[in-house]
Amino acid sequence: MNISKYEEAIQNCRFCFMCRHLSAIGNVRFTEADTPRVRAAMLYGLRTGTNSFDDEDFVDALYRQDLSACCVHHCVNHFDENGLALAARADVVEAGKAPEAVKALAAEFSASASWKAAGKGDVAWFLDGTTAGDKDAVAAAKKLFAAANVAPKTITGGCIGKALKLLGFLPEAKAAAEKFAAFLAAEGVKTLVVSNPAAYDALTRDYADFGVKLPCKVLHVSQWILQAKLKFAKKPAAPVYPLADDFLRNYDGIDAPEKLLKALKAECRPFGTNDEETYNCGEGAVVLDRLHPELVEALAKYVAARADNPEKDTLAVASVYVKRALAKAGLKAVTLEELAASCL
Amino acid sequence: MKIKPDSYMFEMIRTELTDAVGDANVDVKFADKFGHSIDYYWIPEMWHDRGRPCPQADFIVHPGSTEEVSRVMKIASQYKIPVVPWGGGSGSQGGALPVFGGIVLDMKRMNKYYGVDRDSYTVRCQTGIIARHLEWNCNKEGFSTMHLPASIACATIGGFLAHRGTGVLSTKYGKIEDMVMSLEVVTPKGEIIRTLPVPRHASGPDLTMLFLGSEGTLGVITEVTLKVHPQPESRQFRAYIFPDFHTAMQAGASLMRSRLGPCAMRLYDETETKTHVSKVFGIDLDKGAYLVFGFDGRKDIVNLQMKHAREIMEGQFHGKDLGAKGGEWWWENKYKFFYPGYMFHVPQAFGTLDTVADFAHIEKVYWAMKNVVNKEFPDARFIGHFSHWYEWGCMLYARFIFPGDKVPPDPREAAALYNAVWDKAIRAAIANGGVINEHHGVGLKLGRYVKDLYGSAMPVLQGIKKQLDPDGIMNPGKLGL
Ligand SMILES: Cc1cc2nc3c(=O)[nH]c(=O)nc-3n(C[C@H](O)[C@H](O)[C@H](O)COP(=O)(O)OP(=O)(O)OC[C@H]3O[C@@H](n4cnc5c(N)ncnc54)[C@H](O)[C@@H]3O)c2cc1C
Ligand code: SF4
Repeated sequence: MNISKYEEAIQNCRFCFMCRHLSAIGNVRFTEADTPRVRAAMLYGLRTGTNSFDDEDFVDALYRQDLSACCVHHCVNHFDENGLALAARADVVEAGKAPEAVKALAAEFSASASWKAAGKGDVAWFLDGTTAGDKDAVAAAKKLFAAANVAPKTITGGCIGKALKLLGFLPEAKAAAEKFAAFLAAEGVKTLVVSNPAAYDALTRDYADFGVKLPCKVLHVSQWILQAKLKFAKKPAAPVYPLADDFLRNYDGIDAPEKLLKALKAECRPFGTNDEETYNCGEGAVVLDRLHPELVEALAKYVAARADNPEKDTLAVASVYVKRALAKAGLKAVTLEELAASCL
Repeated sequence: MKIKPDSYMFEMIRTELTDAVGDANVDVKFADKFGHSIDYYWIPEMWHDRGRPCPQADFIVHPGSTEEVSRVMKIASQYKIPVVPWGGGSGSQGGALPVFGGIVLDMKRMNKYYGVDRDSYTVRCQTGIIARHLEWNCNKEGFSTMHLPASIACATIGGFLAHRGTGVLSTKYGKIEDMVMSLEVVTPKGEIIRTLPVPRHASGPDLTMLFLGSEGTLGVITEVTLKVHPQPESRQFRAYIFPDFHTAMQAGASLMRSRLGPCAMRLYDETETKTHVSKVFGIDLDKGAYLVFGFDGRKDIVNLQMKHAREIMEGQFHGKDLGAKGGEWWWENKYKFFYPGYMFHVPQAFGTLDTVADFAHIEKVYWAMKNVVNKEFPDARFIGHFSHWYEWGCMLYARFIFPGDKVPPDPREAAALYNAVWDKAIRAAIANGGVINEHHGVGLKLGRYVKDLYGSAMPVLQGIKKQLDPDGIMNPGKLGL
């Protein structure tokens, strides 16, 4: 089983309560099943027979996880509770127990795995489907490229493997990754700038796990802006509340977003009551809004309830997924690109 | 009472519960019932480890308001169904386990925070709020509850009230019972009552104290008003190594008798210093007993308190000074002791023999427990530290640990071994002036000792239970009731 690679997390998390306060889904459903402790105990129970994937709620608990990795970030041993959950999803799929909604999504993402390139040169910008759906974010990125005198090749298209991996469809995810790597090679891409943190994480971590070699260097857009040494004429018009990103902070450990905010001289205010919880409404789970839109709504309400002034505050986020989710609770968010572009 | 899920009575009760709290807040699915069948008590953990199912509730109910709790209690009362309040399930005594089925009343949806009263320095909240979330809210307003237990991340305020819990700053700010102003409680019959708004009065016996420590057996605590404190200007720590734990105990007791008023103090015996403190801090403390203490408040006063405390430690008892850094190691790592890798874990068998005694008896209690564990259970290791200090004595956080390969594979034999250690160690503690216990509570684990502990006062406790809960539906099997 895939979960056997995460024996350490199974053994240690199954009776541990130390990151309970960070269980985003547990904090809106008030359940025990939505905690690292109980998920690990249920997965342990597979081997002794007390638990089984025939239990639909167990399987659903695995698929409704927020996957923010706040627990892993918080844990003094950094036990990979998230990796365990993903491995468990892969086991669910291999056991033929994936819920119909999951299978349907996986089929949709598998079918979407093709891309187009527009433009010239060896610097490319990957405009994933989520980011492409936000006109302001796209316009901001274009303005930044123009300011840097860079006309990147724009790559658009479907799933590069992340969503499939998160759904537990590992061979399909790997196939999408191989296909995308081959596409980038064929296009002669040497530097790939990525807006969506989930895509950045796929390219930097998942591809390495799959053993898929990329022909290019990958930069998150915040890293690229810093490298481009753009001149900013003014600072952001209003104070912002930055939200630490699930992928960039918890998975990838990059500090470019904070450095960028500093470079912009943004007046940053601490959002909510702490900097440990995720306020990203299931960003780490990528497709939670498709599988459980009601949970994303509940998570957004949870965030709104923690804003100093929900009608007026501007939150600075790294991903359009988060921006869109927060908007559902009436919160205003801007992406890092938008914020940077507003300072040009 | 177990209600068959395919019976029409099950559906009748479910319909009524749904009507009381809403469909989304009554869960009968396996995953959550499973989650509520194991708390932090070693026995259900071991039981699950050995592939045995633990007793489950029939319904997991998530009330959102005091009125909803009241409605649930009235339904339970009518059908005589057990109701077990569940906070975070982090209790180590099995107090929240639904051993007779029925309703688990998971309180976490009742997490409202009503803000700090800046005239009285108090805060009101619902009791299902996780302690860390409450503390974060208070911190945002510039205050602290000063209730900082190691389970702050997982336990609810209701759980602490129900178990008379405590945090690391107990020596100055007290246990939870010292922090409470007043409570709102739903009785087993569904009546909503409030205790007097202030804790100091001469208006008869204190009902607030009646419900504190009642472990869900007398009612459901739904709201609380707690004292809060402004964040201190300064908090300083210092640590010392003493050649043995006896000398360190004398130094610690002297500091308490000096009435200098530290906010926290910890003393680890030689074994725990060597094996545990060293590991958590990542330094070599090979010999001696580690003692740490701190003061907080106005900087000039803290400086003075620290100066006098150092005179006691160094001048009177010749402790080896580890400096402020040696003390800060502890403060910064105070919760690290409780993470897997630093904490004991199944398949090991382990238990915290939480005992409290005055200074005249505490060392005797330590030795009595240590000797009996060492003699009767040679496979077990015994370690101890002294956690919560008062003017008159302190709490002994003693632990026994069996390596996994010395625990019988058969779960019944493992449980029998485990219970035998408790029986011997606790009787030794009580015989030497110890009280069981200081902050973990009784639950299922220690219920059998309550009659011995209360003696001729036991019928008083039983009478109170009978009056409030004539049908015995509130958390049956716990607290020896
Ligand atoms: C890692 C770890 C460290 C710990 N460190 C500490 C520590 O430093 N200090 C400390 O005091 N304890 C500590 N504990 C023990 C535990 O956290 C406490 O006993 C705590 O009080 C339990 O709270 P809970 O919300 O988890 O309650 P639960 O375990 O859910 O329930 C405990 C008891 O309270 C009852 N109850 C819960 N809520 C209510 C309510 N609203 N009304 C009436 N009854 C209710 C339950 O029925 C049960 O009898 C620790 C536990 C863990 C796992
Ligand atoms: S991730 Fe770490 S803190 Fe969280 S449950 Fe697992 S062991 Fe405990």
